[in-house]
Order: sequence, then structure tokens, then C-alpha cells
Amino acid sequence: MNIFKMAWRNVWRNTRRTTVTIAAMTLALMVEVLYSGLVLGYFQGLEDDLLDLEVGDVQIFAPDYLDTPSIYSAIQDPVPLLATLNDMGYPACPRLLGGALAAADESSAGVALRGVEVDLEKEVTLIDENVADGVWLDSADKRGVVIGRRLARTLAVEPGDEIVLLTQAADGSIAHDLFRIRGVLLGIADGTDRTAVYMNGEAFRELMEFPEGVHQVIVRRPQDVDLKSAAQAIGQVATGLDVKTWKELMPLVATMLESTRGMIVIIFLVVYIAIAILVLNAMLMAVFERIREFGILKAIGVGPFYVFGLILVEAGIQTLVALFSGLVLALPGMWYLSEVGIDVGSLGGMNVMGLAMRPVWNGIYTLDTVIVPIILLVVIVFCAVLYPALKAALIRPVQAMHHR
Amino acid sequence: MDEADVKSVVKLEQVTKVYRQGAVDVHALRGLDLTVGKGEFVAICGPSGSGKTTALNLIGALDRTTSGEVWLEGNNLNRLNRQQLSRLRRDRIGFVFQAYNLIPVLTAFENAEAVLALQGGSAARRQERVMALLAEVGLKGMEHRRPHELSGGQQQRVAIVRAIAAEPAVVLADEPTANVDSETADNLLEIMGRLNQERGVTFIFSTHDSRVMDRARRLVRMVDGRVASDSKS
Repeated sequence: MNIFKMAWRNVWRNTRRTTVTIAAMTLALMVEVLYSGLVLGYFQGLEDDLLDLEVGDVQIFAPDYLDTPSIYSAIQDPVPLLATLNDMGYPACPRLLGGALAAADESSAGVALRGVEVDLEKEVTLIDENVADGVWLDSADKRGVVIGRRLARTLAVEPGDEIVLLTQAADGSIAHDLFRIRGVLLGIADGTDRTAVYMNGEAFRELMEFPEGVHQVIVRRPQDVDLKSAAQAIGQVATGLDVKTWKELMPLVATMLESTRGMIVIIFLVVYIAIAILVLNAMLMAVFERIREFGILKAIGVGPFYVFGLILVEAGIQTLVALFSGLVLALPGMWYLSEVGIDVGSLGGMNVMGLAMRPVWNGIYTLDTVIVPIILLVVIVFCAVLYPALKAALIRPVQAMHHR
Repeated sequence: MDEADVKSVVKLEQVTKVYRQGAVDVHALRGLDLTVGKGEFVAICGPSGSGKTTALNLIGALDRTTSGEVWLEGNNLNRLNRQQLSRLRRDRIGFVFQAYNLIPVLTAFENAEAVLALQGGSAARRQERVMALLAEVGLKGMEHRRPHELSGGQQQRVAIVRAIAAEPAVVLADEPTANVDSETADNLLEIMGRLNQERGVTFIFSTHDSRVMDRARRLVRMVDGRVASDSKS
């Protein structure tokens, strides 16, 4: 007796029950695939934005800067370091950091000054592409600044308006100067949105009376080098300096992103346990209403392994149909979510743990986002049919034949 | 076992079977002794509850004794494990049940072929044998019908072919005529009688049906789980 032929016919004996079971598995698979891609896209987007716009993969500081941030804790001669890093294939750019008071008309706010080398910055970060209103910095425009969007709201300014920056210069004098707003950034991260003032590096040095050195070097790694290896390679050339990965600089965010995968699996399990109960119920009904038949099969010499295998194959057929239909039905959704995405910009900007969410939420669909839900579905269905299959396989023929 | 035991197809020695029904022990068999030789056509009769079906279940290795021994072609069934019992049922025992008990998703041919298919062997040989047997019992042209497309008598004929196709040592028929009309019953008994005569197949019936008893060449009457009389015609 061909076990597959018999299982196939058994599966379609009760079309309604089989359809409901397959539909439930199909729906679960479809939802899980779409959901996992969306969650992956969500967190990947946050991570990409964080690295592309803010922190890079690795940062280099003077040894004592992170413990006691000060304008005087600087990398004195960054040029050879930047050149070496660029030669190694690690794009890097310097930043100058300081604090000031910004004022416009009757409003004022404490701000974080970020002096950048405009042309070099574009090769390392994508911040220049993230201007919501106005334009990014220009190396020829020393008095132009770009500010965070919430700072713009606090100061009630927009591109073209002027602000005064007041601070204590490196020589101890009071420094102040007038700057013109060139652009206002899109939402990036909470701290940047509220306090960041990006300015031309030369303008920073003039304002702060800080002629040499930089406070921070932002480094990106090649795509095929993992973060740990990149940090080790950078550490070897940045001797005597403090080299930190973004995960060390932002451990909370890193942990949150790392735990995403576990969270997805937990939600998968919850959905799949519900499906398992349904499959278990369907298979139990399918087994118990045929218990006499199993008795007959055993009476004519069918062994327990055949009976066990028959039920597994029946469940396998339903799972295969569900896998096929689930993936086919998920395809349009996957295309839509990855290509078009969900517009969350209309919600007025959302942020998670201080990281701004992109206005359009796109799903990311990789082999993993499809394979993991498939594996989970197969495992759960297998677990669900184990009991009915064992029950049918081990029942004594005479007991089965007198079952009512 | 002595030589006589080996020649006997079935031998039961002081077999008891006790079922637990709720809080009550039901003694279905109380020291049953029975020997059936090769080629016999035996009817076991007796009132309901006399232990006929229980005896057939034990001979057919569908159930185990509470005490006593059951031998089939020299094999002590008490000493065989689950897998060995399955193999023994497949190769050496044929069953014909009161309720036909065909597999509903298989055609008449597939049902009849089931035991042979489990044994393996070439598909062509199986087909040849099963088609010949189906023709012999008058089911030519109905091979592709499912059980629900056959009458009770036709289903029972398929069950008979299934039971004898693999040339078992013994065919156990539990009330095989109980669910069919007189004409069909006569027809079925005719077929089984012919198979017994021509092919030497050993049949053991459990029955209430006088037609079966009339045709049997040995009549074993059971009362209260024991043999009350055993006569040969």
C-alpha cells in the first residue's frame, strides 16, 4: 500500500476540515513572513539611520574624552590617522565638539556644536541627505549652520533666519557670533533633534579659538568586515587613542536591536502555538474517527511504524499545501511592504529609545525572514501530530476495532 | 511441541481471557482447549457472550490471553512482540469481519491487494493474482469501485479476496454472513467452501447462522467460555 497515495486520499476525505486546517496554517505563515520582514525592516532602518547619520561604526577619541568630555581633550594630529584609515578602506571624518547657548529673538537653548569638514563628512555619513528644510552646509559658507528640527521649533527659526551662538572659547574668553540657518534636519535621534548645531569646521575653530586637533573621528567599516574585527583593525592604527564601537557607545540601543530576533521568535511561537492547538484538534479528530480503520489496518498486518508514518505524511501534505499557498499569498504583501512601505510620517514622527523612525516603514525580506517561519511551522505541526500519531500507532488492534 | 502440534494450524491450551468492564471482571474464556488442523472448515457457534469472537481475536493475534497458550503453525503467540505479531497477521492469517471492514479510501482492487502489497513482491504478480481472485468471486469489472459503491455482499467478497490473496495458514471469519441477505450469504458460503475444497484454505467461523453451521464440516459449540461440544460431519 503506497503510504503517500493513501495519505493523500485520507487528507481529502473531509474536505471542510482539511481546508480549515490548511487555511489556518496558510494564514499563520503569511502573517509571520510579512511580520518578520516588517520588524526586521523597522529595526534595520533604525540601526542604519543611527550609523549612517549619527555615530558611524566606530569612533575614535582622545583617551580621556569619554570620561570627562572637554574641548581640551582632543586628538592632536588627526591627519595621518585619517589618511591611514582611508588607505585601509575605512572611510573616516573628524568632528569638533563643543557646547554653546543659541539665541534667536527672545528664545534661547543650550546646543551641542558639531564642527564638520563638509566635503569629508559627505563621504562618511549621510547626514547631508537628511535635511528636511533648506540645504546642507557648504564649505564656502562659513556662517551657515544646520540645526535639529526640535531646536528649530524651540528657537522658532527656519532657513534664512539668524541665530547667535554664545560660548566660552578654548582660551577662556567669551565667544559669540552671528550665524545664518541654512537648513533644518529631519528627525534623526532625540539628542540631535533637540540640540544639534552642525557648522563648518573652520567656523567652529574661529568661534572656539581652537586652531588644532579634533575631538572625534567617525569611521565606517567595509561591508564584509564585522564590527569587532573592524574595531581591532582600527585600534591597531589608532595607538594611544580610545576606540569604541557604536555598540559600546550606545549599549542600550545595541541590546534592544540584538534582542529583536528573540522577540520575533517569541511572537512567532505564540501565534504558532495557537495553530498547533488547531492542528492537534484537527488531527485528533481525524485519528479518532478512523480508529476502527487503524484497527483493520493492523489486523491485516500493517505495523505501528506504517500507521505512525501515515499520520505524519497526512500532516506533511497539509503543511506542504499551506507552505505553498502561504508563500504565494505573502508575495504581493512582501513586494508592497518592501517597495512601497507604510507611511508613518503622517503620525508626526515617531521615535524609539531616542532614535527617530523613518517616515516610511519598509519591510526587509531575506531568505531568513521566509525560512524561519517555515521551519517553525513545520516543527510545530510535527509536535502537534506526534500524540495522535503515537496513539494510533500503539493502540491494540482489537481495542481499535471495537472503538465507538 | 510434538509432531501433531506442528501439523495443527491452530492450537489453544487452557486459554482464559478476562476483561475489565468498569469495576467488574468479565471472564470471556475459562480454560478453552481447541485444535484446528490444516484444511478444516470449522464453525464455532454458541450464544452471545460464549466467547466465540474472543477466541477468534486470540487466534488472530489481535489480542493477548490472560493465561494459557495460543499456537499458530507452531508459533507461541504469547512470545511474539508487537512487530512479530503484525508480520504473522500479514503473512499467515486472513480476516473476514462481520462489518466487511474495507478501507474506504481504497478501491476494491486496492483493498483486495492490501495484504499482498504489504508483503511486497512484484506489482504485476499481485495484479494478476488479485484480478483472478476478484473474477473468481464474481467481481470482475468492479475493481475500481470504492467500498461505498459496492453492495454489502460485494464488499464481503472483496474482504474474502483480501483474506485469502496472500495464501494464509488460516482465515478467521467473524459472523461473515450476519449483515447480508440469504442469497448473498449462500453465495459467500459457496465461495468460501470452494476455496476450502479447491485450495485447501483453513476456515474458522464464528457464527449464529444455521446456514454456516450446515455447511461446516466441524461444529464447535461454546458455552461460558469453554467448548461444550465438538462434532465433525
